[in-house]
Amino acid sequence: MCSRCLELTRRSLLAGGAATAAALHAGVAQARVRPQDMVPLVGPGFKPTERDEIGLWKEMDRVEEEISGTNLLITDRNITGYLRDLIGTVGGPAAKDFRIYLARIPEFNAMMFPTGFAVVFSGLLLRMRNEAQLAGVIAHESGHFLRRHMIRSWRDQKRKTDLFAIGAMLAGVGGAGAGVYLGDYVQLAQLGTILSLFQYSRAMEAEADSMGARLIADTGYPPVEMANIWEQLIGEENASARYRGKHRRKGSIFDTHPSEGSRMADLRADAAEITVPGKVYDAHRDRYLTNIGPIRPMLLDDQVKLNDPGASQYLIETLAQDGWNGLLRFYEGEVWRLRNRPGDEQRAAQSYAAAVAYPDAPAEAWRSHGIELMKQGRSAEAKSAFRRYLTIKPDAPDAAWVRSMAG
Amino acid sequence: MKPEPRGALIAATLALAACSSVGDDYGGFSDYSAIRVQRVNVGDDRLSVVAPRPWNRHRPVLFEDVRAVEDWTLNGPLLDGISFVTGLRDGKSLIRQRRTTSQQVPIFRSNMTPPEIAAMIESLYRVRGGAVDFRTVSLQPRSFLGTNGFQLDYEHLDDDELWRRGRAVGTVINGQLYLVLLDAAKSHYFDAALPDYEAIVASAQLRR
Amino acid sequence: MVKRGLGIALAASVALSGCVQTRQYADVQFTPPSGDYKLLVLRPDVTVGSLTTGGMVEPRADWTDQARHSIVEALRAQQARRGGKITIVEHRNEVPGVTAQELADVERLNYVVDQSIVLHKYLGDYLPTKRGKGLDWTLGADAVKLGQKTGYDYALFLHAEDSVASGGRIALGVLGLAGCFIGFCAPNVGGQQQLDYASLVDLKTGEVVWFNVVTAGSEIPGIKFGDLRTPEGAAQMVDRLLGRMKPGKEAAKGVVMTPEPQEKR
Repeated sequence: MCSRCLELTRRSLLAGGAATAAALHAGVAQARVRPQDMVPLVGPGFKPTERDEIGLWKEMDRVEEEISGTNLLITDRNITGYLRDLIGTVGGPAAKDFRIYLARIPEFNAMMFPTGFAVVFSGLLLRMRNEAQLAGVIAHESGHFLRRHMIRSWRDQKRKTDLFAIGAMLAGVGGAGAGVYLGDYVQLAQLGTILSLFQYSRAMEAEADSMGARLIADTGYPPVEMANIWEQLIGEENASARYRGKHRRKGSIFDTHPSEGSRMADLRADAAEITVPGKVYDAHRDRYLTNIGPIRPMLLDDQVKLNDPGASQYLIETLAQDGWNGLLRFYEGEVWRLRNRPGDEQRAAQSYAAAVAYPDAPAEAWRSHGIELMKQGRSAEAKSAFRRYLTIKPDAPDAAWVRSMAG
Repeated sequence: MKPEPRGALIAATLALAACSSVGDDYGGFSDYSAIRVQRVNVGDDRLSVVAPRPWNRHRPVLFEDVRAVEDWTLNGPLLDGISFVTGLRDGKSLIRQRRTTSQQVPIFRSNMTPPEIAAMIESLYRVRGGAVDFRTVSLQPRSFLGTNGFQLDYEHLDDDELWRRGRAVGTVINGQLYLVLLDAAKSHYFDAALPDYEAIVASAQLRR
Repeated sequence: MVKRGLGIALAASVALSGCVQTRQYADVQFTPPSGDYKLLVLRPDVTVGSLTTGGMVEPRADWTDQARHSIVEALRAQQARRGGKITIVEHRNEVPGVTAQELADVERLNYVVDQSIVLHKYLGDYLPTKRGKGLDWTLGADAVKLGQKTGYDYALFLHAEDSVASGGRIALGVLGLAGCFIGFCAPNVGGQQQLDYASLVDLKTGEVVWFNVVTAGSEIPGIKFGDLRTPEGAAQMVDRLLGRMKPGKEAAKGVVMTPEPQEKR
């Protein structure tokens, strides 16, 4: 069944399995970095002069070439334009000219490269509740490159490896080279590994957090949203793990971004420190929802179909804090249906029934509602639901089957 | 770090081969045996089919395969494959998985309708098969094994960046799932295998 | 799949010697290209990395670039000797007549086909229906269209991997296999592992007409075989890979046939 199923133990686009996780630096408490101390070390037009950094940039060029050619990009200009504007606003001095690659990967992540491009995973867009949060993630990532964390991390890794013992083999090589080659991403499966290659120390994370808070506050977003992002992420991880009865899943964002309770506290303290009393901050939730709206069904679909019920449920409930609607109720039903534990079918049926009561219910909600009615023996109502589905979506892929049921 | 499977195993197994020969393939452990052009039982032996020409049957590896599922291929499972599901029972899934895995392939339920079975197949590909995109092309009624079954046509993009196409013809009899599925690279291989597949589906018979 | 991979790897480790092994497969009617042909070489997939103490291969950017450069030069020189016009393409948008997307699609299919050939011809997981048929894989109509649009007769896909033991490995000199699951490690079998394969596609038919794998392994860490990063090493690899192209079975018997477009599945 399914040629590749036996070969893959788990599709992990983030960690790629072999990337070593950044150690959770246990024990040592990290002193909070004050936002006002965070100034960019990189300005527009910056070009590296040191050999190893030049080598690193060359590799990033190769990465960009591979990414730009992948099948997995969302190229909708409205969305990428919206992202570009946002990145230009909070990404620091150089970010206005950045190239954006939005990859259709249902995981939370984003990365900015000093060579002038950013990669955003679609899972990020699903999880952010407002524009401030999205800006916060972007600002955090730009913090990493504005403070030159990448080259520092690169050099740290080089020091740790034993490559320098091979003197003879390095002879004649132009440039000291670096520990890891970024550019050989022939396959999508490795796309995620680029985001785990830079392993930031706890100190670097503190800097990025701090810088991020400052950048968004300067733009007029409430800096406390930075803390909210992480809180939501942690909640999702815990929900996913709790459902499975074990600890946090491997290959998550937390492998590269160590997170501790004190980090939450630091973020809140940052926010408090730079919030100017009397200044008006706006998280721009409506603007965000409007811009992301067209792809939200796809984002939910990708997430729910991973069948990680703990995480999906948590996400839907978080999004529902802004109000339930037909779309969310439908996908809530899908989560139950896919989870399929005792009692889940009834829960799914209830969710579908709730979904169709909303004006924005997706067509599929009618079909799924009809299927549940059919199973309950309410065939007249079922047929009516099926007919409604066919009216909304006469060219649906499964229209032929539904038609045969609708009578 | 980039995983490098082929280097590892190629280096290891080439020792078995003679040097620098234009040769044939002998030796090595093959997971495959040839199906002859005659009626054969598949899967749990509940179903029998006839192939119009020899295919390669994948020998089940202990602990990894579900008894009711059998896989065939012509050019290798990365390029094409026909899978038979013969009497999958309520509560079973199409593939073995650990209960603690965070992303689960849904299990089969006897009261599943074709859209739900289609969704189960989609999840299989997304969760385990490395599919990053999956599109249902059509779902329609189709008679199979003398009952009112269904035919699902789909496409998926996998993490090796290759688009693949699939067709599944199935039905539920006495609460058990019977399915014959073709999955192959969209470029060339699916179309090439389709006539064989349709012949095999037409030949399928339930065994008592 | 996991258990089988381990089984093969373990069984074979005993038999590994320090020899260079090549193994060619050709379509039964294949004759090596000669005379006036146009060959397209697509983005040679080259990686040179370092074998760390733990047995992992960490690709090295600088070594890779060196090797890539050496291989490309060696390819040009080698093909020049054979006659025929060779074009080596580094970026997908460099081939007139086709879009980058069309080229990418052919490359991706070829990658999977190559993987299948390696799996089912070289790793011993052979497919009984392909016995006696030499090389029986095709890229299909998309490759033929590529040939028609660009005017090339053959396309060569090249994959070269090399890994050099790090200082830690030389010191340890460990022989044996790290516990391997497919995709996550390389065997700890010595100093240098070199794996290269090439596939030649006849663009008039879309078929893979020739495939070769070269592997050079040294059991004794510190002893290097043709280092891909050097011009000599690259020329050596290219020669082993392409230079000794042999005709297919039926062609070798003296029955010279032009390859016919066959119904390949």
